[in-house]
Amino acid sequence: MRLALYVTCLVDLMRPAVGFAALRLLEGAGCEVVVPPGQTCCGQPAWSAGNRNLARDLAKKAIAELEPFDYVVIPSGSCADHIRNVYPQLLADDAAWAARAAAVAGRSYELSRFLDEILNLAELPVEFSGRVTYHDSCKGLRGLGVKREPRALLSRVRGLTLTEMQDCEECCGFGGAFAVRFGEVSTAIVDRKCEAIAASGADAVVGGDLGCLLNIEGRLRRRGDTRTQVLHLAEALAGTEPA
Amino acid sequence: MSIAGHSQAMFFQARATAQVRNAGLQKTLKKVRPLFVAKRAKGVVGLVEDGFDIEELRGACAAIRRRVVDDLDVWLEIFEERASASGAEVLWARDGGEVARLVVDIAQRHGVTKAVKSKSMLSEEARLNEALSAAGICPVETDLGEYIVQLAGETPSHIIAPAVHKTIGEVESLFAEAHQRPLQERSSADIPAMAAEARAVLRQHFLSAEMGISGANFLIAESGSAALVTNEGNGRMVTTMPRVHVVITGIEKIVPTLEDFSTLMRLLPRSATGQSISNYVSLLTGARGANESDGPEKTVFILVDNGRAALAGSDFAEMLRCIRCGACMNHCPVYFSLGGHAYGWVYPGPMGSVLTPLYTGVENALDLPHASTGCNQCGSVCPVNIPLPALMHRLREIQNERGLRPWGERLALRAWAWLAGRPGLYRWVSRRIARYLRWLADDSGRIRVFGLAPGWTEGRDLTPPPGPTFHELYAARKRA
Repeated sequence: MRLALYVTCLVDLMRPAVGFAALRLLEGAGCEVVVPPGQTCCGQPAWSAGNRNLARDLAKKAIAELEPFDYVVIPSGSCADHIRNVYPQLLADDAAWAARAAAVAGRSYELSRFLDEILNLAELPVEFSGRVTYHDSCKGLRGLGVKREPRALLSRVRGLTLTEMQDCEECCGFGGAFAVRFGEVSTAIVDRKCEAIAASGADAVVGGDLGCLLNIEGRLRRRGDTRTQVLHLAEALAGTEPA
Repeated sequence: MSIAGHSQAMFFQARATAQVRNAGLQKTLKKVRPLFVAKRAKGVVGLVEDGFDIEELRGACAAIRRRVVDDLDVWLEIFEERASASGAEVLWARDGGEVARLVVDIAQRHGVTKAVKSKSMLSEEARLNEALSAAGICPVETDLGEYIVQLAGETPSHIIAPAVHKTIGEVESLFAEAHQRPLQERSSADIPAMAAEARAVLRQHFLSAEMGISGANFLIAESGSAALVTNEGNGRMVTTMPRVHVVITGIEKIVPTLEDFSTLMRLLPRSATGQSISNYVSLLTGARGANESDGPEKTVFILVDNGRAALAGSDFAEMLRCIRCGACMNHCPVYFSLGGHAYGWVYPGPMGSVLTPLYTGVENALDLPHASTGCNQCGSVCPVNIPLPALMHRLREIQNERGLRPWGERLALRAWAWLAGRPGLYRWVSRRIARYLRWLADDSGRIRVFGLAPGWTEGRDLTPPPGPTFHELYAARKRA
């Protein structure tokens, strides 16, 4: 099977290791992985800001890049939700694009779901000695229903113990532009997440969305916690080596 | 005064910041939030134990409400006919000001000097207490939380727990002053005693008031009744003891049948307080009959539009399904970081972030549709499946369509989108941003002050990119 890895703009800029970990997982499972070279951003920031026209332009660009593939895999619940659930409604009234949007949406998967459901990934190339707690990011959980998959995958990592934090389904307070627009409110929300992580006694917090992870990591560090690792699920499953 | 005139929603940003910094409020909210969430969760568990499917019930409740909203005028006509036939008078009010005028007029015609009230958020929309006081009629709130808020000269900060922002010490000070007694040391063990104290005071008001004012949780079309769901019993006193009973309620509160009402009642108390049923459920029909010994001599329904009719058939019709349970705010990370007063008008939380712009003007509440992380914790607990984040999102689009967003934001967004449409240039800029971010980092490898997004680094560090971008590294890998 030939699949496209949509690395996301945030991973591209802020943490390339997530993209390479995803590549290792997918190629390791025997997939032919292509990183479409023109990809930039799925357009969610424009959509969230309420600018439908800009969001539409970027959706069309991404659809054209992604439609030649059997599958599209996205290491982000938020971007995957945007492509799966928002693209079709965004282009529903555009005769030339509605069907193309729906087709790409139907073939697009959040990484953990693809690894678990489509690839039935059983063998993982890493070991992790320690306790890990999983943060359910909102769009992955409530938009796509991703809940079981990341936990099932983590349970297959040798040496890893999963320990659930209190209120793991609670929002971390990121919300894209929200985190900057209402910085103090966002900080108050992520503080509760940090307390839950600390109380879980985990060595690492793992999540499926880099936005949430940057938010959680930023607050943990500002609070003086330099010990707790903050890892994307792909990194927890395939290591943090960039490239 | 116009509706927008008493809304402070334009100052959300400043009010939110003040509330986040209010240590006392934060302590209170932190204590209360898990209780609300746990109560609903327990209510849902109870439903499942009784053999109900929560999603099926939510669907059924949404369908009942949708049916009403789709043909609101028809159901209102049926209600008016049945309520009139049972001896009540039905009046219509276009806006809050008209509500206030009608109530004052009824009070004056019946020689009312004091009106006892049970909880009504619509009366907050109408600023009814102010209007009554101005006309020389004394309004007394009799819901315990509302009573506290009235003594404090404040407005409710939550639609079902109006005084949730108050500490026990603050309530004690208010009671000591209002009830003219010495201040005492209080702990949560004293809450029953304090409630009893308020109860004794309120009892005198129930006995002396000539008019009772209540809202209605639902209006039942087939019987022309108002349904009232309460826990303290004050609702019964308000609606049955005074000579005159005025029900003020939004036109969207109709349900077709008693059967529909019982379906909705499976979810309303459970969503609100986790109770399988509230302590009191009253169905109030007509006025006191010729052979009846109690009840008001006169019952008046005031059915209020105040912006609702315009929502029917619009992109926001789904909002009219709302049954005011408060579950959306109880599960909102933003609400529980701020409390309700930050929202600046009558309704706080996610439902307020939708209703306030719609009822007071989109241009008068620009921040509210953005005061959401998009987490959809609200939408996933709403008993009538209102897609609250989608409605907030639609309001954001309307702000853009009407050119109401700040030019700096619009420009930045357009520039970014233009760039994102040009991969080559985008890569070039990304590489430079990555380098710039690394340069910003201090000796410990973290960014502590980020001038381009100061909101981020007020409370958080930013971990800069470790080196080249993914696409740079990937291109290098492919070349190798």
